[in-house]
Amino acid sequence: MPRGQFDAEVLANERLCDEHFRLTLAVEDFPPTWPGQFVQLACRSLEGADDPQVLHEGSPHAPPRFAGEDLTATQAFLRRPFSLAGRRDHRGRAELSIIHRVVGVGTDWLARRMPGQRVNVLGPLGNTFAMPPDDGIAMLVGGGVGIPPMLYLAEALAGKKAIAFCGALSRRLIPLNITDAAPPPKPDSVSGLYNVTEFSKHGIPGVLCTDDGSWGYRGYVTDALGAHLDQYYVGQEALRRLTIYTCGSEIMMKKVAAIAAARGVECQVAVERAMACGMGTCQSCCIRVRKSDPAAPPLAGREWAWRLACTDGPVFRGADLLW
Amino acid sequence: MIIRSVSHVQINDKANHPTASRPAVDLSVDLAGLKLSNPTLTCSGTCGYAFEYGDYLDLSRLGAFVTKSVTREERPGNEPTRVVEVRAGMLNAIGLANVGLDRFLDEKVPLLQNMPCPIVVNVAGHSTGDYVETCAAMNGLDCVAGVELNVSCPNVKDGLTFGTDPARLRELTRAVKQVLPAKPLIVKLSPNVEDITLTARAAIEGGAQILSLVNTFTAMSIDIYKRRPRLTNVTGGLSGPAIKPIALHLVSRVYRAIAKAAGVPIIGMGGVQTWQDAVEFLLAGASAVAIGTALFVDPATPQKISEGLASYLAESKMTSLSELVGALELPSPT
Repeated sequence: MPRGQFDAEVLANERLCDEHFRLTLAVEDFPPTWPGQFVQLACRSLEGADDPQVLHEGSPHAPPRFAGEDLTATQAFLRRPFSLAGRRDHRGRAELSIIHRVVGVGTDWLARRMPGQRVNVLGPLGNTFAMPPDDGIAMLVGGGVGIPPMLYLAEALAGKKAIAFCGALSRRLIPLNITDAAPPPKPDSVSGLYNVTEFSKHGIPGVLCTDDGSWGYRGYVTDALGAHLDQYYVGQEALRRLTIYTCGSEIMMKKVAAIAAARGVECQVAVERAMACGMGTCQSCCIRVRKSDPAAPPLAGREWAWRLACTDGPVFRGADLLW
Repeated sequence: MIIRSVSHVQINDKANHPTASRPAVDLSVDLAGLKLSNPTLTCSGTCGYAFEYGDYLDLSRLGAFVTKSVTREERPGNEPTRVVEVRAGMLNAIGLANVGLDRFLDEKVPLLQNMPCPIVVNVAGHSTGDYVETCAAMNGLDCVAGVELNVSCPNVKDGLTFGTDPARLRELTRAVKQVLPAKPLIVKLSPNVEDITLTARAAIEGGAQILSLVNTFTAMSIDIYKRRPRLTNVTGGLSGPAIKPIALHLVSRVYRAIAKAAGVPIIGMGGVQTWQDAVEFLLAGASAVAIGTALFVDPATPQKISEGLASYLAESKMTSLSELVGALELPSPT
C-alpha cells in the first residue's frame, strides 16, 4: 500500500486538558506506520476551496445562497504536521490517534471536528525511531505536545524495559490520562509510577513533571531525567544499555541531547519544524546536521549540511544535530 | 476529495454515457515545440527534482514537470525560518537551495530519464556566464524538453536584477538562446516591476519562445510581539490563492500587449488551485497553467485540473483547448 492522501472519518475527538485534544481518525487501507512518523492533516475542507458556488434555489429572483466556506473566514491554507500518537488496526481499517494542541486557526478547526466528519490525511511521512537492543532500556522524554510520539513508541516497546518522562507547564496542560488509583507523585521524586494510563497499560512507568509543581516532580523534565540517571544509572555498564528518545520544545530537546551526550548515551530526537509540504519539496523544514565526511556532498567542504525534517527526519541522532 | 465539476460527465467512462457521440476532448498543447498531453505543469521549486511526488500524483498525467531551480554552484539556501503562512497563501524565502549543476547532472538527470512526462529544467544564476554554462549543459540532454530561466527570484541577492532590467534581460535571453538551439526557451517573469510588458517584450526580443507569468510577489509578514519579520530573510515571495487575481491581470495584459501578436505562448501561474482557476488563466491568454503552492496541500491538483478542464470543454461543446486561449470577451469601449 503506497502512501498518499486518504479521506479519514473522525471517530472521536476528546479533550485531554486545557489545550490538547485527542483526535481518532479511521482510515481505510492506510500503509504500515512506525513510531516517529507523522501525517499532514488538512485543517479545513479541501473541497471547493476558494470557490464558493452561488445557488439560486427555486427562483432566480430569490436571494442567492453561497455554498462553501465563508469568504471572510480565515482558514489554514497549508496542511499541519502531527506525529502519530498511536494506531490500532481493525478489519483493514487503521485508527490513528493524533494529539494536538490548539494554537491557531488550523488546530482550532480540528478541535471542532465531530464524529462522522471527514479529515484529509496525507501520509505516512518521515522516518522512524530505531528500537533499543533486546537487553536495552528506553528512556522516553516528552514535553507538552512532544508527548504524543512517545505514546506510540510506548505501544511498540511493550515488553521492553522503559520509563517515560513527561513534562508540561502545569497539571492543566498535561495531555494524558492520570489514574487516581495509583499514588500521586511526589514533588521531588524521579522514580517512575504506574499512574499514567497510556504508559502503564504497556508496563511502562511514568515520571510526570510540571514547571509550576502543580502535579508530580516540580521542575523541568530534563532535571528529572538527569536526577533519575544520576540516581539509578551510574557507571558505563549501566549507561550502556540506555537509549533516550525525545520530542518536545527545541530548548528541552537540546538539553536532553546534552544530558545523553555527557553520559555517552544514544539519543534519538524527533524534531519539530515549521513545514509546508511534508514531502521533501518545499525545503522549509531544514535543520543543520553534522556530516560524517565534510568532504562529501552536499556542501562539500563544510562540516554540516541542511537536512529536511520531513523526509530525512523527523528523527535524528542527537549527536548529529547542530541546532 | 473531489473536484467540484460542472456536471456529472466523466471522461472515458462510456458505460455511463450512452451518448458516446460526444466529441473527444483534446487537451494537448504545443508550446513553441514543447508538446504537452495536457496544459498542466508544475511550478519550479514546489515539486522537487523528479519523483518526490511519485506516491501522491500520477506523474504520467502531468503536461510537463518543471524542476527546482538549478544554479551552476550548489547553494545551501537561506537560514530558516524560510516559510510562513499568510491568509490565503504563503511567503517563502528558500534562497534557491539546490544541488548545483554538477550534482544535478550526476544525481538528478538519471532520475529524470525515467520520468513519464516531459521535463523542463529551471535554471537560475548570478551572472550571464552562470546561466550560459548551465543552459549549455541542458542543450545536450535528451531527457530535457525545455529550459525555463528563473530571472525573478526575489529571495537572493541580485536575484531580481536580470528580471527587472529589460536591457539586461534581453542580453541574457539572447546569450542563453545561443547555447540552447535545440530546446524551447521559457523565461519566467517577475511581477515585481513597474511595467511587466517591458520585460516581457525584452525577453521575446532576446529569443524567449514561451513566457511564464508570474513568479512570486515580494512581501513580508511581521511578528507583532517580537516586532520582527517572521521570515529570517525579512522578505519573501508571496504565492497561493492570494495572488491569483493579480497574476491573472498580468497574464491578460502581456497577452494583449505583446504575446498574442508575437505568437509567444504563455504559461499562466499564480494561485492556481482548481480547474476553474485554470479556465480563467486560459481565457486571459495563457496556453497552459502551472500549479505550485497548491501542490503542498494537494499534490494531485494537476490531474484534477486536467479532468475538470476535460469536463468543462465537453460540457461547453468545445473540442480543443485552443478555443479557450485568449477567448476573454472584453466590453467594447464606450
